[in-house]
Amino acid sequence: MRENSTERRSGKKVLVLACSVMEKEIRQFQNGRLEFKFFDYGLHRTPENMAQAIQLEIDKASDEDYEGIILGYGLCSNGIVGITSKKLRLIIPRIHDCISLFLGSVESYQKQSKEFPGTYYLTPGWIDKGQTPVSKFKSYAQAYGEETARWVLHEEMKHYTRIVFIDTGVYPREPYRAIARENAEFLGISYEELQGSPNLFKKLLHGPWGKEFLIIERNQSVRQESFLDL
Amino acid sequence: MTQTKESMNSIYPYLEEDSKTAAPLYQLQKAVVQRDCKTVKELTERMVKEGVDLFRILNQGLIPGMLEASERFRKGEFFIPELLMSSRALKFGLNVLRPLIQERKNRGLAKVVIGTVKFDLHDIGKNLVIILLEGNGFEVVDLGVDVSPEKFIKAVEKNEAQILAMSSLLTSTMSWMKFTIEHLQASGLKKKVKTLVGGAPVTPIFAKNIGADGYCREATSAPSMVKKLLGIKENEGESPFKQDSTRL
Repeated sequence: MRENSTERRSGKKVLVLACSVMEKEIRQFQNGRLEFKFFDYGLHRTPENMAQAIQLEIDKASDEDYEGIILGYGLCSNGIVGITSKKLRLIIPRIHDCISLFLGSVESYQKQSKEFPGTYYLTPGWIDKGQTPVSKFKSYAQAYGEETARWVLHEEMKHYTRIVFIDTGVYPREPYRAIARENAEFLGISYEELQGSPNLFKKLLHGPWGKEFLIIERNQSVRQESFLDL
Repeated sequence: MTQTKESMNSIYPYLEEDSKTAAPLYQLQKAVVQRDCKTVKELTERMVKEGVDLFRILNQGLIPGMLEASERFRKGEFFIPELLMSSRALKFGLNVLRPLIQERKNRGLAKVVIGTVKFDLHDIGKNLVIILLEGNGFEVVDLGVDVSPEKFIKAVEKNEAQILAMSSLLTSTMSWMKFTIEHLQASGLKKKVKTLVGGAPVTPIFAKNIGADGYCREATSAPSMVKKLLGIKENEGESPFKQDSTRL
């Protein structure tokens, strides 16, 4: 993209490659120029596979006439490290993971993680994907019985002290809030709500791309170091 | 030590094909991968009774099993429950070996101070490293999670530790390894203690850039890395895990 936003109409489309956990939050910014492709939410668990899956789509897109590519991903456990685009410019939010996007800025996430490092964040998207302590417990219990499930979940969650529900504003609030609260009760930890903000999503999808973003020029690779001073 | 031939079984490496103990060692590896605590304990006890070298049971049975489980986790074939259950099974075997190894050494091999770095609460990998180091006869001082540079340094001084080991799971917290090493340098302790770093997002390049003395890609390579850093010889020749640890 030569210009610094997706607003101007050059006629060419911009490809958005993003995690399905934020599909709804991203789709609200469709401005007629964006084309979306969403990936499985679990890719961050296998960073090597994640980079491969995204690289494959980037390579495919090189044969099409796009203006550029926007990634709906942060560093995500190094899942985007090494990604290269031969033909198209890449726009990437300079964030460690999606919570900055949901909260609307890097600063608000940093403030939360410094004050309460033991926070388990839930958004409607994460809840829909079954990524809650309660759902995990149910699936562990189904596979290994209740006693083992309890032990596993304890080992996994023992240092968490609160659940934070982020209302991202694009889902009905009540049913998700109830699930988030139920999870806090299940673990016996505190429960809080934070109002999400669409600001960073909006900037990501429409521009302008200031210092909150990495612009990866053609033939350059994504590097871990670019995120470590955050 | 020779590496396994492909023909044996490519997923359970590091087994000598032409050995009498190969079959039980293979079973032991498999039992760790299959998270079978009872079998791990029984097989380990049986091999000890039969006089199989303790470090052979460790380095060719238990540890390769755990390495296989970790690799499956990395590939997305295992999830957190399987990884934790394999660690638990490993512990059943190491609990059999530990007193015997310590008896042989008469005292702890060396003291290791360990913790997850500031703002990082993820300790599954760190706890596995502790199980492995203790099983190898090291004395471990576990500082837990969310450990500040100051706390690390105090513990190193107080315990006169030879190794300071740090782990992190998050890319947002791994810079605290750098800050801790900087504090260590400033306090004049850097030369007295070797630093070891690991955790999913940590790379050899990062480890080198922050001035760490050692890096482990896998929890399972921690004991041999610690021995290497301290110049301690493995009882059973060299550990088979050279390829997983890098002396920087």
